[in-house]
Amino acid sequence: MPILQKSQADRSATFAFWAFVSPALLGLTVFTLVPIVWGFLLSLSHAQNTIHPGHFIGFRNYADLLTDEAFLKSLVTIVVFAVFIVPLTFAVSLGLALLVNKVGWGRSFFRTVFFIPSAVSYVVASLIWKVSLFNGLPFGFVNHLIGLFGVHPVAWIGTAHPPWYWLVLVTVRLWLQVGFFMIIFLAGLQEIPKSLYEAASVDGAGPGWPVFRYITLPQLKATSVSVLLLNLIAAFQAFDEFYNILGGSGASIGNASLARPPLVYLYSLALSNQDFGRGAAGGFILTALIFAVTLLQGRIFGFGGSEK
Amino acid sequence: MRTNDAPLLHTQTGFVNWHGSRRDFLRGVTVAAGVLLVGCGHSSVPGARVTLTQWYHQYGEKGTQEAVVRYAKAYTALHPDIAIQVVWVPGDYGTKLSTALLTRGGPDIFEGQITKPMVTAEQVAPLDDLFPPAVRSDFSPRDLAQNSVDGKIYGLKMLDDTGILYYRKSLLKAAGLAPPKTMDEVIAAAKKLTTGTRKGLFLGNDGGVAALINIAPWSAGGDFLADNKIVFNTPQVAGAYEKMRELSDSGALLIGAPTDWWEADALVQGQAAMQWGGLWSYPTIAKALGGDVGGMAWPALETSGHPATFLGGWSAMVNAQSNQLEEAKRYLKWLWLDSPKIQEDWCLGYGFHVPPRLSLARSAAPLQAGVAAGAVKDLNSWGRSLPPEWNSAMGTALTDAVTNILKEGRPAAPELAVAAKKCERELSRLLE
Amino acid sequence: MNKRNALTSLPRTAWLLFVALLFLIPFYLIGRNSLMTDSEITSPYWAWLSPRPQWSNFSALFHDPAAPMLTGLANSAIIAVVTLVFQMLFSSMAGYALARIPARGRNVVFFLILATLMIPGAVTFVPTFAVMAYLGGVNTRWGIIAPGVFSAFSIFLFRQFYLRFPAEIEEAGRLDGLSYFGVYWRLLLPNSTNIIMALGVLTFIASWNAFLWPLVIGQDPSAWTVQVVLSTFLSSQKLNLPQLFAAAAVGVAPLVLVFLVMQRYIVEGAKFSGGKE
Repeated sequence: MPILQKSQADRSATFAFWAFVSPALLGLTVFTLVPIVWGFLLSLSHAQNTIHPGHFIGFRNYADLLTDEAFLKSLVTIVVFAVFIVPLTFAVSLGLALLVNKVGWGRSFFRTVFFIPSAVSYVVASLIWKVSLFNGLPFGFVNHLIGLFGVHPVAWIGTAHPPWYWLVLVTVRLWLQVGFFMIIFLAGLQEIPKSLYEAASVDGAGPGWPVFRYITLPQLKATSVSVLLLNLIAAFQAFDEFYNILGGSGASIGNASLARPPLVYLYSLALSNQDFGRGAAGGFILTALIFAVTLLQGRIFGFGGSEK
Repeated sequence: MRTNDAPLLHTQTGFVNWHGSRRDFLRGVTVAAGVLLVGCGHSSVPGARVTLTQWYHQYGEKGTQEAVVRYAKAYTALHPDIAIQVVWVPGDYGTKLSTALLTRGGPDIFEGQITKPMVTAEQVAPLDDLFPPAVRSDFSPRDLAQNSVDGKIYGLKMLDDTGILYYRKSLLKAAGLAPPKTMDEVIAAAKKLTTGTRKGLFLGNDGGVAALINIAPWSAGGDFLADNKIVFNTPQVAGAYEKMRELSDSGALLIGAPTDWWEADALVQGQAAMQWGGLWSYPTIAKALGGDVGGMAWPALETSGHPATFLGGWSAMVNAQSNQLEEAKRYLKWLWLDSPKIQEDWCLGYGFHVPPRLSLARSAAPLQAGVAAGAVKDLNSWGRSLPPEWNSAMGTALTDAVTNILKEGRPAAPELAVAAKKCERELSRLLE
Repeated sequence: MNKRNALTSLPRTAWLLFVALLFLIPFYLIGRNSLMTDSEITSPYWAWLSPRPQWSNFSALFHDPAAPMLTGLANSAIIAVVTLVFQMLFSSMAGYALARIPARGRNVVFFLILATLMIPGAVTFVPTFAVMAYLGGVNTRWGIIAPGVFSAFSIFLFRQFYLRFPAEIEEAGRLDGLSYFGVYWRLLLPNSTNIIMALGVLTFIASWNAFLWPLVIGQDPSAWTVQVVLSTFLSSQKLNLPQLFAAAAVGVAPLVLVFLVMQRYIVEGAKFSGGKE
């Protein structure tokens, strides 16, 4: 009898499992798995002005891209961008979290102010940055400010020497995402047991660098790793601010050549030039790069969670 | 009421008044609510046997959207069984169009520029039967070439666009300058016209890379793609780009304006004394500056070269996958071939464009004098365009090279060699 | 002691105030520019605020026949709410099953879902469009909504959340005769308010701010979202700066409100994405 009961329970569990999981599984299959397979077949095809795989050419699309200077340069560009934006976001969001966590007055005010930009879209933020904040004419806000000190207006976006456009691109992403990561750090900070700090002060360690170095930072390790990871993956997929500020189509297309990340290059290859085979292949190369960097980060910092 | 297009064209003012009225605002709210309740999608018009979907990109000039809707309604008035659903597409039109053409749900009729892969992939239908000899001879050979692939015509030119180097006469005169005749004179003038709050010349916010990438080499006698060969890797073309670098380094270019070269704001608002722009902006400029504006094609690189400008514009095409191919072609024939009044309204009623029909361009009153007349003459003498085999991947390769030459200060010849190699690879892919 | 705290926290507060000021500049610029005339915005002489606020910029915005702002707002709201509701429902169901229902194939399903999490959207963008075209979703509102409903990320977070759910409560429910569905509906869902709120707000924001997909799918103006309408102002050949900034203000305002009201849930939710689990 117990055996029968068990197998009945098994069956009802199996039925319940699939019933619960099937809507999400079906959706993910149709809108993610099928497209991944489709995209892979496209990446092996000569698919000019068509999204139907069929004219198979082996790995030629991959070979073409890996010998394409513009694509390789875009990979370098995105690595440089990540090298700037990831540590900067990390430092600023952690710094703000530490300050907000300790501040005596107006804590929720500050938290709100830093967090609110997360609600703004890249389209709107790029617009403000391009047209108003870093406008090249005297009516741009930054040009107005430096004008107060007698500095002439600077064309922030269109020149290569000095490459001020990096300042524009990095600050817009910083403004948009720092608040979100600050919140994650705040949550992490609040989970650090108070007893650790009390023990430290008994041992004579004053507040400041040693406590931060030997208590706060190690305790935040899991949080830090997930912030780094999310940040890194997002940086490698950068598209919106480059496309909207430097341009991806239209009049000033010359500025896009200054700093073109892989997704902007693949967008123009696939959607403007309609070469969906190479577009798909480039997507998989980028995915491989993201995997590699993630693994590398895991080797250096661990993946978080399990080491604790 | 709408039995021919003449009374229709006079209802323009009615459309302009559209903006302020409260009743229309309420109507807008009701429409929005209706959209919420009913959901969206292609609604077929009651009574019509056939609904043709027609796409336009978003033209900047006020009144253009109302105009194309008006033309479409006039056709339905003549042919009650055929409804035209006009879709006015903002944003990155090229991407939206090419994506839509990949699916069954693409528009029946659309505007764009012909590329060879569109023909190879059977996205566009040949329109040769709309071009009997009498019609064909009323188009310029350049317009026909631009719209032909392997000897067949796929696009019906709706308007011709061209570029103009505009300048403020008064500012040139005050500086003791004559309109520049060569690139060196452009550079000298731009420097001299640069003052504290005003720059000498506006070529777009990338410093003229996009605006002059073809025109500067053309003005030196160079070319890009001819007879299925990449031909820009020459000392002439390299020299043209190096001269552009001189202009770029002069400090006289306006960079970072809110609008780009295809709008006239920089010139009109006095941010620049000269500006590369389009003939389409001329009505706006003339209204703002009165007689204080002159214009010409881009000057020759050296005395051995010649002025240069582009032949641009939009062509109407028919989706080869359309179920209503014949109806679509008949509508296009009526719209752009049989109704000169519509073409005149379309080309000259809003911004200025040159009507592609030679007979019409010759007689159109606004194009007979001044800057506009000069632009038409220059277009006929010097206007050029890239062939349908030139694609955007080649454009990207060349733009990268020119950006490196102009902005990073690299020597031109090796950059062009790299770009030419890449373009040759793209071309062989394309012809595969 | 107290005095010392106040003293050391003074520079800290000053720092925070300074950074907060920097963070508020873009909002200030939206507000300032949306109430100015074009010539005031582009004037070389800076004015901190317009002497005559142009509220008409906003009414002009809603009257522009070329850019249907009202339709856009309505579309974005509907799309964001529907996406939110279905994503929470399907993700919590799947998360519950993956965390709590022992069944064969569970690990395979879980790894499949994790795998889709790793692939950037860029790889799947065009093929997803192709799938949508086959399903007839181009130019429809459900076509914009459907792919956003299924999120491997939120399934993953719900799973992690339900893993921590006390087993005793579930067992008590089972003894009372609740089925798996009963446990989910009566016990787990009512206790998931925090995570649903936190994820829900993030989903709402992502959906409201999505640009490329709605741009390509929603071709007809009746299907445009706020972001698409905004882009029409940006890409329009005739740039109208005051209207552009008014449109930005209208596009941003609803989200800022949602944020202000829902903030504490997001803060709460941050604990789930903090990698502690």
